[in-house]
Amino acid sequence: MKTCRRFSTAILVLALIAVGCSDDDDTETATEDTTSTTAAPTRGGTLVVAIDSDPGGLNPAITTSGATHTAAELMYNGLVELDDESEPKGELAESWEVEGEGAVYTFKLRPNVKWHDGRPFTSADVKYSFDEVLLKLHSRTRASVGAALEAIEAPDEATVVFRFKQPYAPFLQQLDVTEAPIIAKHVYEGTDPLTNPANQAPVGTGPFKIAGYTKGSEVRMDRNPDYFKEGLPYLDAVVMRVIAKPETQVSSLEGGEVGWLFDVPGPDIERLKATGNFDTLETAINPGGSSCIMTVSYNLDRPMFKDVRTRRALAQALNREQFFERVIFREGKVAAAPISSGIPFAHADDLTGMPKFDRAAAQRLLDQAGWKREGTATRTSQGVEGVPDGTKLAFEFLSFPTFVQYGELAKAQLAEVGAEVTVRAVEPPVFADTVFTKRAFDTSIISYCNGADPEIGVRRMYVSSSIGPVPFSNASAYRNPEVDALFDEAQATLTKDERSTIYRRIQEAAVRDLPYFWIVETTSTRMFSDKCKGFGPSGHFAETAYCTT
Amino acid sequence: MTRRYLVRRLLQVFPICAAILLVGFLLIHLAPGDPVLAVAGDSGDEQYYAEMRERFGLDRPLPVQLGIYAGKVVKGDFGVSYTRGRPAREVIAERVPASLLLATTALVVAVVVGIGFGVVAATRQRGILDVATSTVALGLYAAPVFWVGQLAVLFFALRLDWFPVQGMTSADRSGGGWHHILDVVHHLALPALVLASQEIGAISRLARSGLLDELGRDHIRTARAKGVRERSVLLKHAMRRALLPVVTVIGGRVGYFVSGAVVVEILFAWPGVAQLLVSSVQSRDIPIVLGIFFLVSLIVVIANLLTDLAYVWLDPRIRYR
Repeated sequence: MKTCRRFSTAILVLALIAVGCSDDDDTETATEDTTSTTAAPTRGGTLVVAIDSDPGGLNPAITTSGATHTAAELMYNGLVELDDESEPKGELAESWEVEGEGAVYTFKLRPNVKWHDGRPFTSADVKYSFDEVLLKLHSRTRASVGAALEAIEAPDEATVVFRFKQPYAPFLQQLDVTEAPIIAKHVYEGTDPLTNPANQAPVGTGPFKIAGYTKGSEVRMDRNPDYFKEGLPYLDAVVMRVIAKPETQVSSLEGGEVGWLFDVPGPDIERLKATGNFDTLETAINPGGSSCIMTVSYNLDRPMFKDVRTRRALAQALNREQFFERVIFREGKVAAAPISSGIPFAHADDLTGMPKFDRAAAQRLLDQAGWKREGTATRTSQGVEGVPDGTKLAFEFLSFPTFVQYGELAKAQLAEVGAEVTVRAVEPPVFADTVFTKRAFDTSIISYCNGADPEIGVRRMYVSSSIGPVPFSNASAYRNPEVDALFDEAQATLTKDERSTIYRRIQEAAVRDLPYFWIVETTSTRMFSDKCKGFGPSGHFAETAYCTT
Repeated sequence: MTRRYLVRRLLQVFPICAAILLVGFLLIHLAPGDPVLAVAGDSGDEQYYAEMRERFGLDRPLPVQLGIYAGKVVKGDFGVSYTRGRPAREVIAERVPASLLLATTALVVAVVVGIGFGVVAATRQRGILDVATSTVALGLYAAPVFWVGQLAVLFFALRLDWFPVQGMTSADRSGGGWHHILDVVHHLALPALVLASQEIGAISRLARSGLLDELGRDHIRTARAKGVRERSVLLKHAMRRALLPVVTVIGGRVGYFVSGAVVVEILFAWPGVAQLLVSSVQSRDIPIVLGIFFLVSLIVVIANLLTDLAYVWLDPRIRYR
């Protein structure tokens, strides 16, 4: 970091000695940081961060846009924050009680929290944020919490009560700064939250406060000296520079103009690590969502994919190790279950029906399903229900342009069992329109982000009420009343053990019916200057960070 | 040139821009992809998407949307950006200075260096300098901008550390005044050179051949026979007429500077209109995209008009009616 200022020579020397002596941590955890944070944190310095697009606005309560959340979350807080295991820890809320078998949540708010303009934070801000903004404009919170919530009460300045229509288990996982950032009532009340000028110059409670937003160029934040977490943050300032091209981001890191990248293209990771100038932090948390699984969806409306034997055969013909090696460059893992390992209590990685790569078995199953092959030619149908005899086993594989390598590899692997795949890459808005509105696709690959709880990002993939036209919902058009009922039951069940059992049953059904096939769990590799330490993976990544010169 | 001609040309700007806006409006609305997705993210409920469509007026029939939009544009209102919640005109205007600075600097560099190369090559025909400048010019002309840009970053920014990799200013804003101006110039140099590189090739080739043509004409021989100094022969007698095709190219290539700027702005993270255009196309932010269409078409039309006017100055024999 060119801009990290000198603070104290003595502390610096100690810090450098400590850093120099630190060992890399090779243990596999949800968040893997290759640095040690044993050095004493030093105060001061500016961290320059690369972001890939201009956020447009800096109010994370009105949108789920990854660009806005990445740039703005350091300036806001949620009622809770989530740890590496997605367990809630108090943030704006000091403590909470759950009553009514999970239908009533009472939060005691932290005292002496101030907005960046010096006004006190109270329960009225929480109630306003939910009633007027989050439940109307934050699409994820509106769709999940909004549908289950009955009322919010603020009986006194330090207490907020959420009453649900029935027990609602995942609520605490939906209250962090990403899912439910709290905004200032006195700034937004009586205005249109979508066009309020404070969206360009936010007033939050977070560790950093806005110092300037140059459109298209940078968001500049200074340390919040009144931050309620004592002693934090350590950095004097964070500057987020808009650098759209990944290659330019990498060059900027190498040139010392930037100190932190949210993601690094796979082929560059080892090269940069080898320079010895950078440290990494591998995490399943991305600005667009966390715990994401690259998932192939079969369009079950197409007769070709109605027979589960065909779907299973195609899944068995896919060698997912190759996707892990060649497409994501070992950033992540081969998916072991329909629900991500990022949600440990719900992740069932020992299901016997999970398809494994077996080309011979795939060939046999396709034969049984009526897809016959002569020599090395493309298979054709003979007695496949709903498919005229002689139809080729040829279909399209739709993806975002950024995921086209998945399609190319799938095409090569499926050709081995006699399936002819045409890869088509389209931009995200076109993809959403084609898959979810028009349903004009055969197969597709989607990065389904599961979130901190299955209710956030898994339910929408499987329940029949989520079949189109809403984007990134049930792409396969999977309909199973048993699964619908199980999701409702899981939502209303409070204990993790019981919910774990229910999600296991859901995954058993998913693996049996295979409306999807789960390829790899993806992670991002944050890369940063080795002069900086103490980063976290979430939206508040720089809250505990510090730099030496 | 008559005033009537000028007024007529200026009046033509309106129907041309209107036609471009109409085509742009239809193209972007008929293209697949829902703008609401960019605002709503990937997990809203159906009612939420419907509310957003209503808010942006996207739930109305296309002819109605077109009518409303045209009515606004006449008043100079390009609508409100879907993703930014602010007037599109304001969002675009914020980016214009950066783009203008980059494009005009690149244009000036291209013209000065291009003509310089052309003069050197023409006056030393088949000499080492001619071969050298012609080779460099042809190389620059043939190389795609994104490739030249990437190489320039690797060599001049990372290897030699002469220029910064990205941005318009340093993240360290410790100085103001002259320090700030020098900082911007330092950041501007590499992207402007890269954007100019292809045009340097084109202009120098044209300047060279135009000058060689002129230098072989009778009036040049007469001037030399009268004892006029070679410098005056070149600059006063040959250059003006030789520049006519160069001006044509410059005027006609304003569109290139806009499209080339897209690549250069993205590569160097330059905070201009081109970056805004790319992100707005991706998110289907229609008011911004159409606003930029309008701005760019206006620039191209005006550039063509200025080119026509420049002909008269360069060659007084040309008359417009």
